[in-house]
Amino acid sequence: MPEDREPRIGVYICHCGGNISGTVQCELVAKALKGLPGVIITRTDESMCSDAGQSMIEQDIKELGVNRVVVGACAPMLHEQTFRGAVTRAGLNPFLYHHVGLREQDSWVHEHNKSAATDKALRLMSAGVAKARLLKPLEPIRLAAEKHALVIGGGVAGLRAALDIARQGLRVSLVEKSPFLGGRMAQLGSVFPTEQDARKLLQDLIGKVAAHPNITIFTQAELTGVSGYVGNFNIQVRQHSRGVTEENAAALMAACSQLVPDPFNYGLTDRKLIYRPFEGCYPSTPAVDWEHYDGRPFDVGGWPIVLKDEPREFELNVGAVVVATGFDPYTPSRGEYGFGELPQVVTLPQLIRHLALSKDGQGLQWNGRAVRDVALIHCVGSRQVDGVHTPPPDGQLNNYCSRVCCTASLHMTAELHKRYPQLNIFDLHQDIRTYGRGHEEYYRQALEDGVRFLRYDGAECPVVCAAPKGDTHPVLVKVKDLLTYGEELEIPVDLVVLAVGMMPRDIQGLVKMLKISRGTDRFLLEVHPKLRPVETAVNGIVLAGTAQGPMNIQESLSAASAAAAKVASLLGRGRVELPPFVAAVDEHKCNGTGACVEACIYEGAIALQTSEENGRQIKRALITPANCVGCGACVSACPNQAINVQGWTLAQYQAMVEAIGAEMPALAEVPA
Amino acid sequence: MDKLRVEALVIGGGIAGMQSALDLADQGFQVALVEREPSIGGRMITLSKVFPTLDCCSCITTPKMSAVAHHPNIRLFTYCEVQSVREQGSGFAVSVVQKPRYVDVSKCTGCRDCEYECPITVPSPFDRNLGAYRAIRVPFSTAVPQKAVLDPEYCLWCGKCEQVCPVDAIDFSQQMETFTVEAASIVMATGFELTPVSTKKEYGEGRLRNVIDPLMMERFLAPTGPYGRVLRPGDGKEPTSIAYVQCAGSRDETLGITYCSRVCCMYAIKQAMLLNGALPLADITIYYMDIRTFGKGYEQFYQNAKAMGVEFVRGKVALIKEDADQNPVVKVEMTDTGEIVERTHDLVVLSQGIIPACRPTVSLPVGSDGFISVPEPDCAPCVTERPGIFVTGTAMGPMDIVDSIISASAAAAEASAYIRENRAALEVRKEAAYA
Amino acid sequence: MSAPDQQPRILILGTLSGGYAGADSTGQSHLDYPANTYILPVMSPVMFPPEFYLRSFERGIDGIIVMYSGTDSPYKVEADLTARLINRAYGMMKERGLDIRRLRLAAICTVCVKPFLKEVNQMNELLKGIGVARDELAAHASAAHLEKEAAHG
Repeated sequence: MPEDREPRIGVYICHCGGNISGTVQCELVAKALKGLPGVIITRTDESMCSDAGQSMIEQDIKELGVNRVVVGACAPMLHEQTFRGAVTRAGLNPFLYHHVGLREQDSWVHEHNKSAATDKALRLMSAGVAKARLLKPLEPIRLAAEKHALVIGGGVAGLRAALDIARQGLRVSLVEKSPFLGGRMAQLGSVFPTEQDARKLLQDLIGKVAAHPNITIFTQAELTGVSGYVGNFNIQVRQHSRGVTEENAAALMAACSQLVPDPFNYGLTDRKLIYRPFEGCYPSTPAVDWEHYDGRPFDVGGWPIVLKDEPREFELNVGAVVVATGFDPYTPSRGEYGFGELPQVVTLPQLIRHLALSKDGQGLQWNGRAVRDVALIHCVGSRQVDGVHTPPPDGQLNNYCSRVCCTASLHMTAELHKRYPQLNIFDLHQDIRTYGRGHEEYYRQALEDGVRFLRYDGAECPVVCAAPKGDTHPVLVKVKDLLTYGEELEIPVDLVVLAVGMMPRDIQGLVKMLKISRGTDRFLLEVHPKLRPVETAVNGIVLAGTAQGPMNIQESLSAASAAAAKVASLLGRGRVELPPFVAAVDEHKCNGTGACVEACIYEGAIALQTSEENGRQIKRALITPANCVGCGACVSACPNQAINVQGWTLAQYQAMVEAIGAEMPALAEVPA
Repeated sequence: MDKLRVEALVIGGGIAGMQSALDLADQGFQVALVEREPSIGGRMITLSKVFPTLDCCSCITTPKMSAVAHHPNIRLFTYCEVQSVREQGSGFAVSVVQKPRYVDVSKCTGCRDCEYECPITVPSPFDRNLGAYRAIRVPFSTAVPQKAVLDPEYCLWCGKCEQVCPVDAIDFSQQMETFTVEAASIVMATGFELTPVSTKKEYGEGRLRNVIDPLMMERFLAPTGPYGRVLRPGDGKEPTSIAYVQCAGSRDETLGITYCSRVCCMYAIKQAMLLNGALPLADITIYYMDIRTFGKGYEQFYQNAKAMGVEFVRGKVALIKEDADQNPVVKVEMTDTGEIVERTHDLVVLSQGIIPACRPTVSLPVGSDGFISVPEPDCAPCVTERPGIFVTGTAMGPMDIVDSIISASAAAAEASAYIRENRAALEVRKEAAYA
Repeated sequence: MSAPDQQPRILILGTLSGGYAGADSTGQSHLDYPANTYILPVMSPVMFPPEFYLRSFERGIDGIIVMYSGTDSPYKVEADLTARLINRAYGMMKERGLDIRRLRLAAICTVCVKPFLKEVNQMNELLKGIGVARDELAAHASAAHLEKEAAHG
């Protein structure tokens, strides 16, 4: 290999059509550099980036045996790639190339001091030569990648991500904790702004996912362990027993009489221990609520049948992971706006379930009473203010906006008005945030429908209390209304609906296993909201949907498709290619101090490994290149200079600094 | 070159188009990106800083621009316009016009010698016409490609640029050239324009000198801006009282724009915060109906601005006029008190909304809001009514940068799935034909 | 041509997406600044141990500006760590009699033309006043030597 031999450096200085040579005396610089150790040829050209200039370099590599190339030209951003390409074409490793910016950082900024500019060019170029002497051939980090992705979560985001990844020809394992797919979307009636039936949309999506040959679905399954890195994650999964089969389901369900509050309906109804959450659920086989089942036998035709959860454990090898664990609706604390104390106070998700269960053709009923007046309070569990709201036990207020509740509330008022035109609706808000395409229509519709809007200040929230006995209505809502210039109003109502926000789910275990991070809002954190909006700091782990923050269905779908695009780019070729600029350990110098491990900022990039050598236990740092970004925090921490970022070594910098600081032979011919 | 075959053609080189192109190219698809301006970067590259992180906008945009320029799977066509799109086989034949730059891009090194020599000064649309550049110039300092372009509308054809160009790149003989791109799929990323307030009589129809649009303020605040500081365009005075009029051209039935433009609350708050830094003594007022800070980290951003002393006044601005010193006077109905008051400011920014940028050459149904129609937003948010054509970013409705980038990746996912499935279907059909 | 050689030399360590790009922007605007400035691109300044700075001062560098942008990385940790390393370098500089103003950490982004110029000019003015690093190092060394001799004498 040419690169293994002694450095034979070719130096090329571009005139840039006078842009550099008009200020910097390129020929003098070239001449002065000729004497530097290792430099076998220096050349100048009117336009080094032209075909002729590039061919010249290629020819020198082939004919003169040049094995390190330094070009001084315009900014590296513009042409570094060009010259790396030329070098590669001539059969040299592209990383044996170094680019020096002589235009933007020299000739264009020192036009009035030509001799100083020339001196600077000489120093910058000799620094380049000093680095070139120490350049080593590098290869991109190539990791074999499983063409197989794991999607965690079977809600709308997880389903969409799974489908979109599968459509790119990759295999997908979809792991859902609950026994049924669909997540929160299954609990909705219709969706805004299309007014389509949520369950119908979901069933179409589930149908496609279930039918796709690339997708395997695991319900009642959760992660118990994660190891590995991008391209090669090893995932341990535990899957609970279904408990019933399609064949014995009907008999068992008939035999089961024990009821528990149905979480699908937010406790508004009860369901059996053996259940289907809704008609048309997937899978259609009922599941056993293991959490509430006490092991008592079911009497099926005189036979006592005991059901057993015998979880099975298995492993999945995947190249990437999509986290689509979704959200929980905020649960108001007891007494917050009367919640939990007054039976007439419900959350918006509860009301959605209540309406889904209510029959048309009769008025709105709640708690056995006809509802004539209803108050809807926005921002419950969102936009919380320190000093106004009582923090929950963990002390964390939700100071964020939950994004979907305004439109969801007005979507609800539209449905209420349509189904119960006689109903009086009061809407108590801070700001109406109907931002999305078609959302403002709901606001206008509500105004047309006669919804009475009242505006409260975030520092003075409405108060919900029981009405005095004998009042026409059971509940009073007191509010200082800014739309009537601060009038203190008391609104007697039959029902109070709390538009609760979104909360991140409790997935602490998963977060730890995956080594991903959460933001101050406790939702999962992306690397950068604009540069890498669905990626986590762990290479190969991406986010989809409301696990990342409040989103509506449309936004969750987009985020999920975006996550799928990232996974497809990563795994599509069956290998992951990463830049070679990662930390590398010099085995001869490393004596296992562990300082690098402590200093490392990125998860799983570096660890101490113990091995046996000549009967002795030796500790050494071991890099996992897939998790290293090459920041070099380990480099500055190592007391033995045993670790370096490839392509950017400390020795290279020291050599460059020495070249810049060195006493140079005067450029005699340069006019002062 | 008169014909090029690609798997995806992306129309528009703003942030959404760039992201879509990158995501498709990263998956190994051949992509052509067509941009009508001489540089990619779109609206985003003209902005100062971006909310809510307050990152320097250029620092976020330029890496994507350079990634697009250097990607082996992306062919970049700047200063080109799509002329027509017709179905051809299982894909599209897209006719593209290359407008003459009068500069041979294969020779131009972006040295700007032509620009320094050019005697003609013209208003710079990059700076919202607040600043000036030459009739021949590199469009802006971080433009991609770094190639000069000559503006024939202003050029006197004096030939000075030709004389001074060190690489003989000036070519006055260039003509419009048409070429065809055959594409298996198309991604529309055609972006937005500001709502025209010139049609709003109550806000001065664009005649008031110290009433500006938000993109002008972005240029004032940008480190590369025309004046390098914030001043009134009317007289160059440093403003000490600046007001933002929210929903200027959004949620406004009189303009026929009834939707919310989504970004105006956040950019007004962001600019207010930046102004607070640039002009610490200035009073900043935001007149609004509802503050819609709904994105991740946005509500906290709003609360920070309040804590910083930015004044938020709930009220609809009914009228803006001018006093004798060209100070804008804002007549506002204060919603919280019912009073109608007049307040004088030095500078007023109209928080204008977003309308679709015109793209008459690709025939696609639009919604009642004028944006490209997406028939199944709750199922396939980037799929248009024409199979094989996808839409992303502000071409499908107002959205901020974060949402545009997500939407761009989503469109790339849809397009790539379409390309694969279409290819598979074609192969099946081919087999059937042979059988 | 010996004049520029005697001038104090300023080393700039600029991150690719921060200071280095900011310097390129300054160049694109053709804005003049002192020529005794040498910019080296870096991935992240967190890789330089404090000894690196000291060694540079010994090898003919008189002022160092570390230019990075906080937006390079989502990790504020990286920036904090760099600041800590620079602080340690300050301690070592003091021990060797070096004016700690010779080393600066500055946030410069891709279009920070004015801040870039300000940093460079400030450092240049400072170095004009306090001279080259070698003189300080030599003065300190000889003072230490004298002290030692005095103690022995």
